[in-house]
Amino acid sequence: MTTDTGSTTDGVKDMWRHVRFLFLAFLVLWVVFTVFPLYFMVITAFKTAAETNLTVPTFWPQDWRPGNFAGVFAEKTNFNALLDSFIIATANTALSLFLGSLAGYAFARFPRQAGGENLAFWILSNRMFPPVAILVPMFFLFDNTPWGTDSHLSLIFLYLVFNLPLATWLMMVFFRDAPLEIEEAAYLDGWRPLRAFVKVTLPLVLPGMVSVAMLCWIFAWNEYLFANLFVGSAVKTYTIVIPTFTHGSQTLWNLQMAFSLIAMIPPVTLFILLRRYMVRGLSLGVVKG
Amino acid sequence: MANVSLQKVNKIYGSGPGSVHAVQDLDLDIADGEFVALLGPSGCGKTSTLRMIVGLETITSGHIFFDERDMSRLEPQERNVAMAFETYALYPNFTVEENLAFPLEVRGVDSDVRRKKTEEIAEILQITDILNAFPPELSGGQQQRISLGRALIRDPSVFILDEVMSHLDAHLKFRMLFDLKRLHRELKRTMVYVTHDQVEALALADRVAVMSNAKMQQVGDRNTLYNRPANVFVADFIGEPPTNFFTACVATEDNETRLLVDDSDLVLVPDQSTAGKLRQSGHDKVTAGIRPQNLGLSETPYSLKAEIDINEYLGERSMLTVQNGAATFQSLAPPDMRAGPGEAIQLYYEPSSVMVFDFETEKLIA
Amino acid sequence: MARLEVQGLCKGWDFPVIDDLSFSVEEGEFFVILGASGIGKTTLLRLISGLETPDAGRVIVGGSDQTRLPPYQRRIAMTFESYALYPHLSVYENIASPLRARKVAADDRERRVREVAKLLKIDHLLDRRPGEVSGGQKQRTALGRTLVADPEVFLLDEPISHLDAKIRHELRTQFHTLEDLRKVATVYVTHDYAEALSLGDRIGVMGSGGRLEQVGSPRDLFERPVNLTVAEHLGQPTINVISARIQSENSQTFLTAESGELKFSLPDEAKAMLQGQAKDRVTIGLRPQFIRPLRETDTGLEVVTAEVDVYEPLGANGIMIAHSGGVRLIALTDPEMHYDAGEKVTLGVDISRFHYFDSESGYRLNGAN
Repeated sequence: MTTDTGSTTDGVKDMWRHVRFLFLAFLVLWVVFTVFPLYFMVITAFKTAAETNLTVPTFWPQDWRPGNFAGVFAEKTNFNALLDSFIIATANTALSLFLGSLAGYAFARFPRQAGGENLAFWILSNRMFPPVAILVPMFFLFDNTPWGTDSHLSLIFLYLVFNLPLATWLMMVFFRDAPLEIEEAAYLDGWRPLRAFVKVTLPLVLPGMVSVAMLCWIFAWNEYLFANLFVGSAVKTYTIVIPTFTHGSQTLWNLQMAFSLIAMIPPVTLFILLRRYMVRGLSLGVVKG
Repeated sequence: MANVSLQKVNKIYGSGPGSVHAVQDLDLDIADGEFVALLGPSGCGKTSTLRMIVGLETITSGHIFFDERDMSRLEPQERNVAMAFETYALYPNFTVEENLAFPLEVRGVDSDVRRKKTEEIAEILQITDILNAFPPELSGGQQQRISLGRALIRDPSVFILDEVMSHLDAHLKFRMLFDLKRLHRELKRTMVYVTHDQVEALALADRVAVMSNAKMQQVGDRNTLYNRPANVFVADFIGEPPTNFFTACVATEDNETRLLVDDSDLVLVPDQSTAGKLRQSGHDKVTAGIRPQNLGLSETPYSLKAEIDINEYLGERSMLTVQNGAATFQSLAPPDMRAGPGEAIQLYYEPSSVMVFDFETEKLIA
Repeated sequence: MARLEVQGLCKGWDFPVIDDLSFSVEEGEFFVILGASGIGKTTLLRLISGLETPDAGRVIVGGSDQTRLPPYQRRIAMTFESYALYPHLSVYENIASPLRARKVAADDRERRVREVAKLLKIDHLLDRRPGEVSGGQKQRTALGRTLVADPEVFLLDEPISHLDAKIRHELRTQFHTLEDLRKVATVYVTHDYAEALSLGDRIGVMGSGGRLEQVGSPRDLFERPVNLTVAEHLGQPTINVISARIQSENSQTFLTAESGELKFSLPDEAKAMLQGQAKDRVTIGLRPQFIRPLRETDTGLEVVTAEVDVYEPLGANGIMIAHSGGVRLIALTDPEMHYDAGEKVTLGVDISRFHYFDSESGYRLNGAN
C-alpha cells in the first residue's frame, strides 16, 4: 500500500458522486415525463367540458365534476361496449393460452417432430409485419365467414393472429425451463402423459402462463385498429366508443377521459390480483438441493 | 502479503424480532503466509465471515485488520483481496490466456508485464499447454485452475477460496488437494479456504477454524481437532466415519473411574488424567465419544462386547456397525474381517482414545 | 416381485453410449453399477425404466419383455440424481403421487404414505414443500416416492453422492436396513467405489465403451480386478501402476521397473504363472496400503528407499507420494506421522499383494477372469 492511494480514491469518489447526481436528475425527468399524461387524464376527467377547451389549460380543475363518470353511461350501449370488450378479450386469451400452451409444449419437448426452431421462429415472426398490412385482406376473409365481421367471434379469432404467436413462443420458453426430469418422474409414478402434463408440468409454468395471459388480455382489451373496421353495430368494443363522445364538432374530452379511466379499471385490477401468482412463481424454489 | 485479524466481529442481518445473528463475537488471527480453513456446516456463518473479510458485506460491529491497517469500512477493491468461487465464472469467449490476463488488463497493466505474469501463473498452475484453449473445451479441474489463476494474478495480499472443490469428483478433488497445497508452498500467500468438507479442510490447512451456529467452536491443527476436540460438535463434525457417542454414568470404585453406558452393559475406561478430572469435578452423567478408527481388533486390556449388525466391506477396510443393548456404534476393521450379522465380537480400544464431555455444556473434560 | 434381465442393450450407433450390454439382477439382489461420471450409467437406467428406447436389445422383468412398454405401464421405480421432486406439491403429495396415479383408495393411500415417511424419518415434514427441506430430506422424499409405489424393480441414480459426508453415511446405513429394497431387484448407480463395495451384492464396473468391464462380488472386484481400468477405478488413493520387465540374474528372477532402477524379487507362485504365459514384460498393480514406511517389526516385506515428494495426512491415513528409481509410488502411513518433501524414507513393499496385468491389453494375468 502506498500513501497516495488516499487522494486517488477521493478523486474517484467525487466523480461517482457527480455521476450519481446526473442519474438521479435523469430519473426525476423520466418520472415527470411518464406520470404527467396520466395525471392530466385524471384531472381532465373531473373538469367541465368548457374547462377542457380553454386555450390555457388548467392543471387543477376549477370546478370538480365527479358526475362525468356517471354521465358516460347515459347511453346504455356504452356499458355494453365494456362488456363486449371483456367477452372478446377473455375468450381470446383463453383460446390463445390453450393453443399456445400445446404448441409451446410441442416445440419445447419435441422440437424435431414439431417442425424445429425455424418453424417456431416463423410463427413468432408473424408479429413482426405491420398489422395494417393485413387489415383489408382480413376484412374480406372474415366477411365471408358465417358469422361475418360484426360479431364477437370475428375479433376473438382475429386477435389470435397476434396473440397466438406470442403465447406459443413464450410458453415454449417456459416449458423449456421446466425440468424434463420432473415430468419423467411423473411417468415413472404411473401417470399417463396428458395427466402428467396437467398435474406436474402445467403447475410449473403457471406463473409464466399468468404473465402470458395478462399480455394477451391487455392487447385484446386495448385493440382499436381492427375493432374500428370490423365491428360497430351489433358488437361494439369500448375502444371504438371513446371517440364517439362528441357534441357536434366539439370533442367532450372530460367524458372521453372519464370513460378511459373506467376502462383502465379491469386491467389494473387484474394485474393486482394476479401479481401474487407471478411473484410466487419465482419462490417455488429450485429442484436440486 | 498480510496477516489478518478479526476482532469481536458480529454480523446481524435485519433488525428487530426478525433479525438473524449470523456471526457472533468472532475472533480469528491468521498469520502472514498461513493457510487457514474456515470449516462448518451450511448456515454456520462461514460465508458471512468470508464476505466480511472480502468487503462484500458490512460489519455490524467489531474490526478486521490486515497487518495493522483497519479494513472494516473499506470497499472490496481497496482491500486487495482475491477470491476464487465455487463456480468458475470464466469468460467462455476468451482464451485461457485472455481469461488469466483479464484482471491485469482492467487495471491497465502493460501488455509485456501482462504476458510475463500470465506465463508465471500458468507455470505454477501447470496449464501452460492449454493457454490458447477456450474454457468450454476444458475439464472441470482445468477450469477450476484457471479460475484460481485469475484470482492470483494480481498479487493479492489475502487469497480466499470459497468451496472451490465441491464441484469436482473424487479423483479430481484428490489431485486438486495436492495442487493447492503446492500452490500455497510456492506462493507463500495468506490463504483462507472456506468449506463444509472436513477432509478437505484438514488436508489443506495449517490450522482449521471450526464454526457452528454463528460462533467459533475451535481453532487448531489436525491433531488437536482430531484428538482433543473442544466439544461434542467438533468431535462429531471432524472425522469420517463419525465419532460414536454414548450417554454414560460415571462410577468410581477403589479409585478407579469407569463410564457405564446407558441402556447397555458397555463400560468405557477413560485415561488417568481424565478420570482424575471427573472425580474432581464430581460429574455423574457425561457424553463419551470414541472414534471408529480407535475401536479395533488388535487386543488391548480394554474392550467393548457387541453383536454385529452390518459388516460393510469397503475395499481397504471393513466397517462394522454393532450394537449392545440400545447402543449402536461403529468400528473400522481390516478388510479380511468376515464375521456376519448376529455374531458376537469384542472391540478393543486404548483409554487415551476415549473422549469425555460434560453432558450439559457438551465441553471436553480434560 | 421379479427378476430383471437386460439383454444386449445398445444405444447410440456412431458413438455408442451403451454397447451390447447384458446383465441380470435376481429378485432381492442389490446390483451396483460403478463408473466414472458421464460414462452412460444414467442412460442405462433410463433405458431400463423406459424413458428412452434402446436401439437394440431387450429389458425383461419377471419373464415378460417390457422393452416396448411406455414407462407408466412398467412396474419400475426410479430416483433421479436431481431428485426431480414436484416443487409445487407437499412432501406428502410427492410421496403419494404413485398411489394417486394408480387410484389407490384414500385411506389405504394415507396409511402407506405415513408408513413410508416414518420409515424414512420424514414424517414430521409431510406438509412442507421440497424447497423448504434439506438435501438429505429431499433425497428421503424421493426415495419415499419410489418405495411407496411397491415396484418390481428399483433403479437408484446416484442417490447419495451429492450429500454431505455425514448424511451420506447415515443414508448408506439406511440402504442396508431397508427391507423393501432388499426384497426386489435393485439397480444402484454410483461413481463412488466405497458406496458400491459397501452396498452391492454384486457390482458391475462400467467402462468408457458402454460395456461392463467386470461383474462380481465386492471382494472379487477389489481383490481380483479383471483389468487395469477396474483396478484404477476402485480404491483411494489410486492403485500404483508400474510397468516392469521380467529379468533373470544368477538363477533368480526379478521385476525391474521400465523407467529406472527399482527392482523387486518375484514371488514363486507369480513366477510360475508368468513363465506359463511366456511374457517378458508385465504391468504391476499395487494398492497403496501395501506400501508403507518400514517398521522394525516388519518381516517379509521388500525394502525400497525413496524420496518424499508430498506428504498429506488425510482422514484416517497419511498419504505419501514418493519416488524411487524414477518410479512414482503412493504409500499409506499412520496419520500422526510427519514427513517433509525431499526426505529419504525406507518403504516396505508387500510383494505378495502384486496384481499382474498384461502390459499391452491391461488384462489380468494371474488367474482366470
